[in-house]
Amino acid sequence: MRLSTAWIASTCLAFAMASCGGESAPSDSKSTTTDAAGKPAITVWWFQWDPATGLQELGREFEAETGIAVNVQQIPLASYQEKVFLEFGGSRTSFDIVIGDSQWIGRGASKQLYVELTDWLPTVVDLATIHPRAAKYLCEYPENSGRWFAAPCETDAVGLAYRKDWFEDAAEREAFRTRFGRELTVPATWEEFREVAEFFQRPADKRYGCAIPSDRNYDGLTMGVQNLLWAFGGKWKAEDSNQVVGHLDSQGSVDAIEFFKTLMKLGPKGCERLDYGQVLESFTNGSTAMALNYFAFFPGIHAQFGDKVGFAVVPAHDGRRVASLGGQGLSISAKTSKEQQELSKRFIAWFLKREVQEKWITKPAGFTANSAILSSAEFRAKTPYNAPFADSVDAMRDFWNVPVFNELLTVTQRYVGMAVDGEMPTQEALTKLAQEKERILKEAGLL
Amino acid sequence: MRVLRYLVVVLYFLVATAPLVWMGLSSLKHRDDSIRPHANFLPALSAPATPTDPRFEATLAAYRQLGEVHAGAQQSFWSHLGNSVLIGVLSTLASVALGTCCAYGFSRFRVPGAKDWLFFILSTRFLPPLAVVVPVLIMYRTLDLQGTHAGLIVLYTVFNLSLAVWLMKGFLDDIPRAFEEAALVDGYSRAQAFVRVVLPEARTGMAVTAVFCLISAWNEYGFAMTLNSSGAITVPAYFAGLQGNIEGMPWPQIAAGALLFVAPIVVFTVLVRKNLLRGMTFGTIKQ
Amino acid sequence: MSKAARGSGGLAWALVGPTLLLLIAFNVFPLVYNVVSSFTNAELIGGDSRWVGGAQYTRVFDDDLFGGALRRTALFVVCAVAVEMLLGFVLALSLQREFRGKQAVLTALLVPMMLSPAVMGLFWNLVLNGNYGIVNHALAALGFDPPQWLTDRDLKFWSILMIDVWMWTPFMMLISLAGLSSIPTSIYEAAQIDRASAWKVFTRITLPMCGPVLGLAVLFRATDALKQFDLVMAVTGPNDGATQTLSTLLYQVVFRDGKVGLGAAFSCVILVVVIALATVFTRYIDRVQARDGV
Repeated sequence: MRLSTAWIASTCLAFAMASCGGESAPSDSKSTTTDAAGKPAITVWWFQWDPATGLQELGREFEAETGIAVNVQQIPLASYQEKVFLEFGGSRTSFDIVIGDSQWIGRGASKQLYVELTDWLPTVVDLATIHPRAAKYLCEYPENSGRWFAAPCETDAVGLAYRKDWFEDAAEREAFRTRFGRELTVPATWEEFREVAEFFQRPADKRYGCAIPSDRNYDGLTMGVQNLLWAFGGKWKAEDSNQVVGHLDSQGSVDAIEFFKTLMKLGPKGCERLDYGQVLESFTNGSTAMALNYFAFFPGIHAQFGDKVGFAVVPAHDGRRVASLGGQGLSISAKTSKEQQELSKRFIAWFLKREVQEKWITKPAGFTANSAILSSAEFRAKTPYNAPFADSVDAMRDFWNVPVFNELLTVTQRYVGMAVDGEMPTQEALTKLAQEKERILKEAGLL
Repeated sequence: MRVLRYLVVVLYFLVATAPLVWMGLSSLKHRDDSIRPHANFLPALSAPATPTDPRFEATLAAYRQLGEVHAGAQQSFWSHLGNSVLIGVLSTLASVALGTCCAYGFSRFRVPGAKDWLFFILSTRFLPPLAVVVPVLIMYRTLDLQGTHAGLIVLYTVFNLSLAVWLMKGFLDDIPRAFEEAALVDGYSRAQAFVRVVLPEARTGMAVTAVFCLISAWNEYGFAMTLNSSGAITVPAYFAGLQGNIEGMPWPQIAAGALLFVAPIVVFTVLVRKNLLRGMTFGTIKQ
Repeated sequence: MSKAARGSGGLAWALVGPTLLLLIAFNVFPLVYNVVSSFTNAELIGGDSRWVGGAQYTRVFDDDLFGGALRRTALFVVCAVAVEMLLGFVLALSLQREFRGKQAVLTALLVPMMLSPAVMGLFWNLVLNGNYGIVNHALAALGFDPPQWLTDRDLKFWSILMIDVWMWTPFMMLISLAGLSSIPTSIYEAAQIDRASAWKVFTRITLPMCGPVLGLAVLFRATDALKQFDLVMAVTGPNDGATQTLSTLLYQVVFRDGKVGLGAAFSCVILVVVIALATVFTRYIDRVQARDGV
């Protein structure tokens, strides 16, 4: 074969490139991004939803005050993560600030993609004003280290939206009373939730019981299931360590998933595979009685339905109530110039001011982490969804946020998906999932 | 027998074209009609009174909206189409040019190890793009080609080369050598003979090769989505990137865009129709 | 060797050189890179990769992921190619005779294979949607209980297969037509004089004479189906256990999980399969061309 020379040459090249791991040094370019008019400008990436539009509005106020333009680019959620991390793989990112999912914080922090804010943040904001759960899940890594890699931006949790007009309909109430021997009320427990869903499930009339995030593509199913998982006494891991076996494969987790499976029969066709947008669509097209979704979607629902909808915290089980945490923090890209990083800090500092946070909560789905605002009577009374939101913040918990969270998410989506679809007995799926997770954690040196 | 034949053709024709017809109809809808819970399939001039009516109001709004920047995207369909055209056309030209030269070399000269080389060239066609995309990505990061038109042009050129070389070799092998030898006797240099005598003879072959290269560059998705996250995004990557946007998929626009996107390919294919089969069978069939 | 071919080694290399260099740069280099990084725990982001020996390969073979994706891909290739071949050949037989408007019908039938699979896959999401898709509307109107084409775990794989069949049957039809038209009419006439039955003509003349071309078509489609990525991404995404193919598994491992080392090991194993296929392919072309005296 005459190919040998080519092979040798490219082998050398490949070794050379593999040994630098494809990692390029952060750009030391001194240039500052400017917009068309020559003004300084920063670029913020977020996925596409209402809060991003609200942030852009605030950005314009910031520009009016400081002359620094803020461009919020909205990327569809299905490809957001890949796009962000492909940018991070390059020598510089096209964003200065990324509003990263809470789960990314470990990866961003330990791979030096996010600028560490530990020393700087206390100089611009009193950290005590940030709700401890938001701080813990959105900003800090490793857990309890006191090191900050993000400032809270959107604090969010899963909540319940329901058709108030259906719940208050006299004929429906009567029918419900006859069938279940109790009043038709907003479900406080998962058992009640299932009864109500069962009650409204009338496919022949194109009316359905409930819609729950269950998409297999990114994290939908996991975010939907974990509301039940914790309530039923299941766990992703041990409280004080990364031990998984013996916790995830417990009876509580099995019960939660078995229960979840029964809910998958009480929604519109194909409801075992709904992403957040499709859950929203099922509810807003007027066919579904109850939807579990992030609070950030609720202002839009309220605007469309007005008094016909109500909002509540997620149901509980045996007095345990835990809401899936959503929400994202503002992180500064380590792969952008020092000047841009300084401009980004100015924006973050401005955003965290009490008076700006007061404005933020007036924006569509702008939810703050400022605990003083959260607990104020004024905030709670302002909209029908504010009070349940504030209560949810106290009850919210997150999935893994270690650097290998994505691998953990991949296997979770797969095995929980198999259990929900009935492809594998739930206990077996969870046992396998627990073993897989421990293997991933061990490989990453986290166990 | 004849009835059976007729039946097969008509049945398949209906099944095969139904999705295309549906695409045409969908492109004339308002988005709400495209996802209405009740079937609607008859275009009408005005909106029907009830939601259960099988008619829908026909509109060209979707085609107009192609010019707007859809939520979740940074540019309109047209600018993505521009990217596709630029990348598709330039890479096709490059593949055909390089492939023709290379095929001519293998066809007319004694290249050491020709069989091995030809096998190597063909084998590159079998590799799934996803298997080489990471090294290419790292290469492109080093060369600063990520997210550029040039990056995809070079890449598509390279990945179409194997096809171009093999197709062109089939066509060139069929051109009698006597033509060039006569030209050489007339005092042409080898290069002149190639350009003035062989290339005109190989025109149809080059056209067919161009169609194949264009189709694969035009529709490519794997590299387009992984290499270019923010610049030079082609149409397939653009539409696929709208998945998961909270306004839902803009179905009428997707239908309209898909129809416009396939139109040039259909036109080119019709133009070279007669010689298409020759290319598809790698020259194993004479026509 | 003709006169012209002698003494022009420099020109020959000038002609073939650029192509070979490009192909080496974009194929051999990535392959070598993959081989090297398949022995490390390299990640998409972050440079500190370690040598881990054969650990990634152990995982490739221990993990039921790879086996599952391989099985699914193989099933996909076999079913897709078989159905497309059969349908395409039957269509070609039916379309063999001339009739008015034949060119227009052929062109219309070819459109599916010219569409972008990524975009068309998206559009099929609308066509086959469980709630408002036109297919289910039609089935319901006919009194059937419409299935959930794209969400039912037992069905979605076959739905994707069906879309692939829709897209690529025209290709098989076209090649079959070419094969059929290459059979000299004199042979059929001779058979007619011998009073051979239609079935005999088909099995003794038509099939054997089309065989080589059909074989080529099968190989061609098989290599493409092996790379199946666009449709799966558009319909179910890369992480759906019921539809994950080799290419989408690679995407999930490399771009979602960021595990470049593991992805490289997957790629290397796939490469072995690919080389075997490429060998079969070239041998086949050689044989057919030799038989036809090209």
